[in-house]
Formats: sequence, structure tokens, C-alpha cells
Amino acid sequence: MEFLSEYLTYWSEDYSSILDYMYEHILISFTVIILAVAISVPLAIYMTKMKSNKIKGLIFNIANVFQTIPTIAMLAIMIPLMGIGFRPAVVALLLYSLLPLLRNTYSGMESVSSEIVEAAKGMGFSTFQRLFKVELPVAFPYVMSGIRVTAVYIISWTTLAALIGAGGLGDLVLAGIGYNDQYMIFTGTILAIVIAVSLDLVLGRIEKIVKRA
Amino acid sequence: MEFISRLVQYIIENYSELLSLSIEHLLMVAYGIGLALIVGVPLGIIAAKFEKLAPVIISLTNILQLIPSLAMLAILMLYLGFGFETIVVGLFLYSLLPIVKNTYVGIKEVDDSIIEAGVGNGMTTLQLLLKIQFPLSIPFLLAGVRLAAVIAISVATLGPYVGAGGLGKEIISGISLQSDVKIYAGTIIATLMAIIADILLGKIEGKTKRRLA
Amino acid sequence: MNIKNFLVVSLVALMFLITACGNDSSADGGEVFTASAAKNTDSKINVQILKSLVEDQTSHEVEIVEDLPASAQIFAGIDREEFDFANLFSGEVYNNYFDDVEYSTNPEKTLKQAQKFFGEEYDIKWYDPVGFINNYSIAVNRDFAEKNNVENLTQLEEFADEMVLGTDNAWIERDNDGYKGFQETYGYKFSEARGMDVALMYEGIANGDLDVVTAYTVDPQLKEYDLKVLKDDKHFFPPYEASLVARNSVIEEYPEIDDIVESTVGLISTEEMTDLIYEVDIEKRSIKEVSEEFLKEKGMLD
Repeated sequence: MEFLSEYLTYWSEDYSSILDYMYEHILISFTVIILAVAISVPLAIYMTKMKSNKIKGLIFNIANVFQTIPTIAMLAIMIPLMGIGFRPAVVALLLYSLLPLLRNTYSGMESVSSEIVEAAKGMGFSTFQRLFKVELPVAFPYVMSGIRVTAVYIISWTTLAALIGAGGLGDLVLAGIGYNDQYMIFTGTILAIVIAVSLDLVLGRIEKIVKRA
Repeated sequence: MEFISRLVQYIIENYSELLSLSIEHLLMVAYGIGLALIVGVPLGIIAAKFEKLAPVIISLTNILQLIPSLAMLAILMLYLGFGFETIVVGLFLYSLLPIVKNTYVGIKEVDDSIIEAGVGNGMTTLQLLLKIQFPLSIPFLLAGVRLAAVIAISVATLGPYVGAGGLGKEIISGISLQSDVKIYAGTIIATLMAIIADILLGKIEGKTKRRLA
Repeated sequence: MNIKNFLVVSLVALMFLITACGNDSSADGGEVFTASAAKNTDSKINVQILKSLVEDQTSHEVEIVEDLPASAQIFAGIDREEFDFANLFSGEVYNNYFDDVEYSTNPEKTLKQAQKFFGEEYDIKWYDPVGFINNYSIAVNRDFAEKNNVENLTQLEEFADEMVLGTDNAWIERDNDGYKGFQETYGYKFSEARGMDVALMYEGIANGDLDVVTAYTVDPQLKEYDLKVLKDDKHFFPPYEASLVARNSVIEEYPEIDDIVESTVGLISTEEMTDLIYEVDIEKRSIKEVSEEFLKEKGMLD
């Protein structure tokens, strides 16, 4: 019980800075997620229309290599190139999120059976009509599951952005490690989990609503 | 170009140390994933057999995945001490989700008609599980191991923060010494390791799939 | 490879893991001790010096565990008897460990408190300082300081609201000796304060992302990047004097090691440590080489 009351005091004293860290965390991770979707989904759609398997393979391989670079190293490498702060953190995290989104969107688009596409062609649909009325609705669950998986990971990885001066809940975790304060470590961790879980719930809702529509 | 030649020279001069760091890195990952298999496969089977428990098991392992790696290691270290065992436990916890989830999905995916056939042949539940459901779910499990391996290789680079070795030693001392060569040497080897693991496990996954098909 | 093989491999791995633990003895039949250090180069040099001396003068060996994130992890290791020696700083005593410690910027009082509190809590001997001081300090570009005639922290106030501060993640959150205490003592804050890995602060100020950094007084990067440490005219920063510490049970059993650690008291001045770190951080030489060269100069190693 003592633990709880001490912990509540910590919150009441520090809540404004805790909320700041949380805001920064959300800002970084949401920027990354939105940019990642804006880049990967159109790219993956374009790739399904590509003829050359070589280029497709190349794009997947590059995205795969990004995925395998250890986070701490990725951030360290970003510094000589882009300095410190928000920008390098966003770029580094963006590179990580490419592969899962590309892969899921691509397989979603590939899962559209050629019979349906042919049928749509027969009905006189243009390429764009086919894309928006037939292919994308079929691929949607795949795209969504890619977004959900990626979003959760991004929120967890964003804690490392504190190492390059981008702020976020990682600041709280690292401060707790440096200042011998487990409340801080605990708070940073729990809030990151809360953000991730709530975002996943919201995305799940959106998925359901869109499916029904 | 000058940088690349410096890098190559550094790797050649220090290859024996880099090699032993790489081996240490691989061992941490192998132990972590090994433990995750021992614990995760039964958990996945339990989740598949007892539908009521499934959400509990899956969401618990999901939350483990969300704990920021730095926080997880810092906290583990306070309770488990420094060194190899701590990082292995960390990697084990991170590898649980893909393994549990894929075992679960794999077993669920087994075609009902195959199970019916088994039941028709007078198989018991245990026989069904061991002879049909589990073998058929192996490609899924391997996909989980593959994902876990790539993540574990990346997380293991944080090893020095808990007094363990591995390639993170090069990267983290490179960051504190501001030595780009060290950072890149550690990163490139860790990345290659992840890529090779990904390709190898992908090959094995493909083979088991074909054998089953 | 099928799942059976996988299980066999992981079982074998597990057995290895279990047998791999356990203490070995050194090649000459002595003990193998463990010394730990945090991420900063001065800590690493200090434990290397201990290692070189012990291995030269006795049959024991010392294994170094470095790059630990912070003092809490070092103390946890000492408590669990995993670390026998460590390099620590007197100012750590204000780092949220004890409730009844009395905050002071007096070096002697700080040292006395560290020796008393940590000594009792962890059953360790906290030796007298090695000689160098590694305080937090506030540094700015020398050009800026000269152009605007800024010598001390009070004079920095009029520029502060346009400056971005780079610091380690913990300093922002520390109570007594961190950013909050700083604001109380000096009565101003910077336009923005960003936490980051210490090694990156200097790159940040070099490329203009940052205007002010919380440097450590022994950092050779102060020289390398031509920064000026501003005078702490209100005596805000607590002293961080480096000391080696040893577990009491170890030095009771091996008094010869106690003598060796005692011989490092007062060995390295702040200037000497800055030079040693310069050799390691800027000239990229190995810590072992630099430390042993220094010991030879001092006549403590042949």
C-alpha cells in the first residue's frame, strides 16, 4: 500500500512532465505510422502492377535489410547523416515500418482472384475503378493487419528515440535508469503499452466499421 | 571510399575479436529462442485446445512484446543480475509472442476434413495432436521462429547495457567513443546475421511446406 | 530440420547455459574477480588500472564488465556479490538511494556521506578518491562565450531563453542536482531541454542543433570541440569524485588487494585523466594500452 501511495505522489508531482513525454511519444510514433502508410501502401499497390520481378525482389530485399538493422545501431548511424532530434528518429523508425506494410499490402492485393478482376474488366471497369471498387476492398483486411502490427512495434521502438534527443517516453525510462528511480521506468513502460493497446483497439474498431460499410 | 577501406581494415585487424563477439551474439539468440520454443510451443497448443484460455495467453505474451527493450533489460538486471542469463531471459520473453501465436494459428488452421479423417480412423485427441495437428502446423511455427530470430538478433545488441557481450559491444562502445568504424562494423555483422537467419529459416520453412503439400 | 531436432538443440543449449555458470580460477591458481564500470571512459580507465595492477602484483585475475547503464545496476551487482570491485563517484550518494542523506556541494562532506551510506548499505569499502573530479558542468561554444562575454552561469541568463540545452536523459529528471534544482538556484531555464545519449551531445553542439550542453569536467571533447565550461558561481553542482570500491569480504580475505587499491588513492589528477581520455576517445587508442602506459610513467608497472 505504501508503494501505491508513494507512486500516486510521484504522479501528482510530475504529471505535467509525464504528459509531455507521452505527447512527444504519440507525436513521433503517429507521424511515423502515417508516413509509413502513405508511402508503403501505394508503393505495394504499384508493385503488384509491375512486370519486372527483379525490381520487386529488390524493393522487398532493401526493406528487409532495413528491418534487420538493430534499432540502436540505426539511430547511431542516423546522427552523422541527420543530426539529433525529431527528424532522424522519424526517418529511422520509418525505415523499420516499410517491410511489414509492404508485405501485407502486397499479399492482400495478390489475394484478389484473377476471376474477380476479369469479371470487373468485363463489366467495363477502368483500372482505377477496379482498384478502388474491387481490389482494395478485398485487400483491406491484409492492409489493416499490417498497419496494426507495425503500429504496435513502432510505439514500442519509439522509446529508443530518447537516445538521440527526440524525447518521448524513452526519456522517462532512461531517466529512471540513470536516476535509480523505478517509478519512472515503470511509468514510461506502462504508458507506452497503454498507447499501443489503445491504438490497436481503435484500429480494430475502424477495421470493423469499414468492413460493414 | 576512404571510409570503406578503413572499415575493411578494421574488420581484418580485429577479426578474431569480432568473431568471438558474433559467436556470443548467436549463442544469446539461440538460447533465448530455444527457451521460447520449450515454453512457447506448449503454451500455443494449450491456447489452441482450450479456446477460453487463448485470449489470456495471447494478450499476456503480446504485452511482453510491448515493453520497451531498454526498460525490460534494466528491470531484469535489477532482479536477475548482470550478464548472459539476463539478456537470454530478455530475448526469451520477446520471442514468446511469435512462437506462441504461430503455434496457435498453425494448429487452428489444420483443415477440419483432415481431423475428421483422423477421428474416423479411431485416433485419440492426443494422437490427433501429435500425429496430425502439430506436424501440419510446423510451417507456421517456423515462420514465427524466423520473425523471432530477426527481432532477437536486433534486441541482443543491447546486451552491453546489462553487462553481456555480443555485437552490441562494438556498437555501444562505438557510440561512446564516437567511432563510426566500430558502429558500422558491429551493425553490418549483426545485420548480415539477421539476413542469413531470415533466409535460412525461410528456406527451411519453404521445405516443410512443400513436404506437407 | 524438424521440430524434434529443434527441441534437442534447445535442450542442449539449456544444459550449456547451466554448466557455463560458476566461478573459474585463474591460470596461475589465483581467484578471478570481477570489476564493473559504467559507460564513461574515465570509469573504464580506472578499473583497467586496477586490473593491470592486480594481475601484475598477484596471481589473481580481474575480469571487467563495462558499459553498464548506471550506478543502480552496479550496486545491484555488488549486492548480489557478482561484482567485487567498481568505480563509483561520491555524488552518487544524492542519487535517490537514501532518504536521510543531507544534500551538500562540499566535496569532503559528500565523500564522507558516500563512504558511510554506501559502505553500510552494501558492505563495501569506499576508498579515498583516485584524485580526479568528474562533475557535471554547463558548457557553451567558446566563440559564443567570448563574443558575449559570458564567464559564469549567472551571466548566461540573458541568452538562455533562446538556447537549446542537450543533456543526458537523467539530468532533466534529477531532483537536487538536476535541471529542477538548477532552475531554483539560478532562476532561469533554457528554451528547450533535450535528453540524449551523452556521447551524442557533442555532435549536437558541433553541428548547431544544440547551444548548451551539460558536459562532464573531464571530457576531452571540451577541448576537441572548443567549448567553454562556465563557472558555477552559485555552487550548484555537487562534486563527483571518483573512487574505487571493493566488497569488504573480498579485501578481508585478500588483504594484498586492499593494499593495491590503496595505492591508487590520489594517483590521477583531473588534467591527467582528461589527457588519458583524450588518447582513448579522440585518438582511438585502447584503454588497456593507455592505462598501462600511464602506470609505467608513474613507475607502478614495469
